[in-house]
Amino acid sequence: MIKKWLLKLGILLALLPLQAHALLTIEITGGSDGALPIAIVPFGSEGLRAPEDITKIIRNDLESSGRFAPLEDQDLVSRPTEQSQVNFADWRLLRSEGLVIGKISSQDGENYQVQFQLFDVYRGQQLAGKRYQVPASGLRALGHQIADVIYETLTGEKGIFSTRLAFVTQVTAGDGKKRFALQISDADGANPRTVLQSTQPIMSPAWAPDGDQLAYVSFENGKSEVFVQQLQSGQRKSVAAFEGINSAPSWSPDGRKLALTLSRNGNPEIYVLELANGNLIRVTNNAQAIDTEAVWSPNGNEIYFTSDRGGRPQIYRVSANGGRAERVSFEGNYNASPDISPDGRKLAMVHGANGNFYIAVQDLKTGAMQILTDSRRAESPSFAPNGQMILYATEQKGSGVLAAVSVDGRIHQRLSESGIVVREPAWSPLKK
Amino acid sequence: MKQSLLQNLFAGGASTILHALLIILLIFSFDMPTEIRQFGQPEVEIVQATVMDEDLVLEEMARLQEAEDSKRIAEEERQQKLDEQLEKSQQELARQEQELLDMQERAKLDAEKRKQEAELEQQRLKELEQQRIEQEEARKQAELERQKAEEAKQKADAERKAAEEAKQKAEAERVAAEKAREEAETRRKAEEEAKRKAEEEAKRKAEEEAKRKAEEEAKRKADEEAKRKAEEEAKRKAEEEAKRKAAEDAKRKAEEDARRQAESDLQRQLEAEQSEREGRRVRGVVDEYSQIIQQRVKRFWIKPPNADRGLEVTLRIRTLPGGDVGEVTIVRSSGNAIFDRSAESAVYKSSPLPLPSDAKAAAEFRSFNVVFRPE
Repeated sequence: MIKKWLLKLGILLALLPLQAHALLTIEITGGSDGALPIAIVPFGSEGLRAPEDITKIIRNDLESSGRFAPLEDQDLVSRPTEQSQVNFADWRLLRSEGLVIGKISSQDGENYQVQFQLFDVYRGQQLAGKRYQVPASGLRALGHQIADVIYETLTGEKGIFSTRLAFVTQVTAGDGKKRFALQISDADGANPRTVLQSTQPIMSPAWAPDGDQLAYVSFENGKSEVFVQQLQSGQRKSVAAFEGINSAPSWSPDGRKLALTLSRNGNPEIYVLELANGNLIRVTNNAQAIDTEAVWSPNGNEIYFTSDRGGRPQIYRVSANGGRAERVSFEGNYNASPDISPDGRKLAMVHGANGNFYIAVQDLKTGAMQILTDSRRAESPSFAPNGQMILYATEQKGSGVLAAVSVDGRIHQRLSESGIVVREPAWSPLKK
Repeated sequence: MKQSLLQNLFAGGASTILHALLIILLIFSFDMPTEIRQFGQPEVEIVQATVMDEDLVLEEMARLQEAEDSKRIAEEERQQKLDEQLEKSQQELARQEQELLDMQERAKLDAEKRKQEAELEQQRLKELEQQRIEQEEARKQAELERQKAEEAKQKADAERKAAEEAKQKAEAERVAAEKAREEAETRRKAEEEAKRKAEEEAKRKAEEEAKRKAEEEAKRKADEEAKRKAEEEAKRKAEEEAKRKAAEDAKRKAEEDARRQAESDLQRQLEAEQSEREGRRVRGVVDEYSQIIQQRVKRFWIKPPNADRGLEVTLRIRTLPGGDVGEVTIVRSSGNAIFDRSAESAVYKSSPLPLPSDAKAAAEFRSFNVVFRPE
């Protein structure tokens, strides 16, 4: 009986695929993390020679992000500048997932009209498209802006190409004197401009949440002092010039407070300074240890900081109102310079091991730590505002350079030219 | 009673005395049988006694008869004497009465004359009479006493006799009674025996009856049981037979069916085996090409960065005969448009898909699903 049944079942099973009732199902798990092929057709300019190669800016942004693999120009099968000229089948053959076309024009050489379209090649659909009008000086920023749109459309994450970097440069002049400069640049390290110059050291630039102010430490008055400077106007103000150390400022998420390291009572401790009235709250109180490098959690409730209270520098966490601190980092015997990802889930830090210093990221939920760089001397990690990249300074051929690494450690970028010492970078927030 | 009667009789006159005597005799003679009857036994028993010892009784009767006879003779003699005396007395009386009458007559004749004298005489006579009466009375008294004595003697004799007789009779009766008692005892015993026997018999009979009845009941029951069993057995057998027959029929039918089934099964099995072989072969080819397609699509699939682990999209893919991807539709979205698009793009980029040359296997790939998961 059972045999018979089994036989029938066997017949049924044998027949099933042929009857095509149950569809064949193929399962695919874990595709590649590779870069997305994208065709970026040089924008049509009708012979106009624009001061910026906007197509190149877009292309570089996307490529440098590590997420995209733009086709080489010579591989482009055609150069459409508007949708009617697009034959998607051609682009499909090139396995390009996205196609970017655009136009740039100017009547007077001063104002430019720019338009672009992003297509899904396989479905023949436009995914994004915009028109802009900008002055010549805005063309570079527009390029970054368009790159941000494309990036976000295809990856689902915020683009960071329009953000800025702040960092400190140090050059030795012909007279042998050192010159320190606080600079900001585009996110790709290009277009640097100096916001402060000094013969005395400048340290620890920190972006205000609105992206319009910087806090930093300057020794211009012969001692450490914390300033807050308006980038647009250049106006600045000393906010902490207490006796002893005044260092490592960090903006609270609401932009109303600064966490600082002060030794006004003898030992370096973490304080919270209310900018509007100058009120100070002492957060840590540990006379035996150095507590410094405070950074706020995104919800503003906690402060992460470095402390050697355990004998070696480790990352601790304490309530922004003070109280008992708890240790957060446990891997190795040197972890310092914390930064918290915008989603509050990751801790970036400098991890010392075997005499080298690496950028590492720790999952705050699981505690798992991953080393992202193989550099010898990495310092000052700073999360990009989309949380996908970590900016840091490192040493290369004897000089400090800016670099960035994706949080998965897969993508590495070099952001500054060698030749000058660049240190203590900070990634700006997203442009409002 | 008798005495006062006699006195009355005497007072009444000589004739009355005679009558009284006769009456006495009559009464006496009457009394005898009455007395005897009083000693009598129940007739039945007498009959029986006679029967039982006739000789003794005859002898006794003879003896009694003899005694009776002699007594009667003596009585008759005595009676005769009495009669003679009575006759003499009566004659004397009659004579005296005659003399008296004559004297009275003479006296009457002389009465006048000799009245005094007569009276004296009468007195003397009276006295004489009185004397004579007294003498007579005395004689009569003596006689009476003698008679009485005689009577008493006779009576005593009779009584003695009677007592003797009674004794004898009583003895006889006692014997008879004893006999009767014995007989009665015997009879009682016999009766008892009989009764016992009867009871025993009755008991035996009752027991036998009971036994018989019990046996009969048992037998009846046994018979009934046997009958019932026999019926049941018969029924059971019939049922078994029916069952057996049904089973045989069913078996035969089943066998036939099985044979037919086996034949058709064999046929079908051959077909099935062929079909299954074919199916296996097709499945093998399909599996092979599924893997090839999987690898190809996977190679072309670029996951969005940080795609959440839980994401999963199912696409329906229709292919054209050459393997070109004709249409890709989302069967079940991951909810993440970019993730979905990355999967779609992966499929499109994989076009043309390598398809098996075998038509049946290739048919599997005319429309199929692909499920994408980040990891």
